[in-house]
Amino acid sequence: MIALQLESQLVLLFAALGRNLGGDAEPLAEDAIVRLVEQARAGDTGARQTLYVQHVDRVFRTVRGILRSDADAEDATQDAMLKVLTSLHTYTPRADARFAAWVMTIAVNTAHRRFRRRRPELTATGELPETADEDGADPAEGLDRARRRRALLIALAELSERERLIVSLRYGAELNASEIAATVGSESAAIRKILERTRTRLGARIEALLTPDGGRP
Amino acid sequence: MSDVMDDGLNDEGLGNIWTTLEPAMGQRRRIDARVYEWLEAHDTTLAAEWLGLFKVAPFSAAGLVAVSAVAIAFATASPLLWLARLLL
Repeated sequence: MIALQLESQLVLLFAALGRNLGGDAEPLAEDAIVRLVEQARAGDTGARQTLYVQHVDRVFRTVRGILRSDADAEDATQDAMLKVLTSLHTYTPRADARFAAWVMTIAVNTAHRRFRRRRPELTATGELPETADEDGADPAEGLDRARRRRALLIALAELSERERLIVSLRYGAELNASEIAATVGSESAAIRKILERTRTRLGARIEALLTPDGGRP
Repeated sequence: MSDVMDDGLNDEGLGNIWTTLEPAMGQRRRIDARVYEWLEAHDTTLAAEWLGLFKVAPFSAAGLVAVSAVAIAFATASPLLWLARLLL
């Protein structure tokens, strides 16, 4: 029993260490990611851990844009990353889409399942991030970040579900138009049009919300 | 380069502001913990591999600790004895 508890603690410690010792380092190039996938399939635990830390934050900020609730985004990220880690054997590299696109397809499907189960309130957009003062961060910087985050969430809430999905895949997941098209089942040209239109609306709305009068007419 | 265009934030500006949606430390810790706990509870191959890092040869681990302790004792004993003799 004690040994099990110790193992559990060690696993968590290892996770934390993995994160602090370069887990959130610069994103890796696609050929390095594909090599990691191959190594992970062959049983390389370190490769799997690296894949996890390379994608977990990106998955969170993508589903957060879609779901609009931190709790739902946490659950969806957890479910999606588990699905990714346990389905690596089903991944087939493609010339026209990166591994991240495959990860995001899983994340979006997971988020949609959650959205159908529990539709969030459209007004739940203004909460402060729980860690504005974590890590000894500058409080002023934390407040500015919270203000920008709130503006983004309000602006996102005013978009349609499809628009929110597409801009989240563009700016949260950093996918290109053809990868987004493959993920949502559409044409690249149509995605580019939606992106251009939505970027303009979203950008203008956020700018307005960040002005001192908060975008009030 | 500015994040702002005449009609609001540009592509780069939106990319920058999206980083504010990243999980906070506490949120990320919870996600990490739940993922690893799930893997552990379901005893998947991956979980087994993960746990394997710590399960491997507990006696070897104990042996390593013992050897390390002896090595440290050797390394520190001489100067300590010398210091003790000096003081006495």
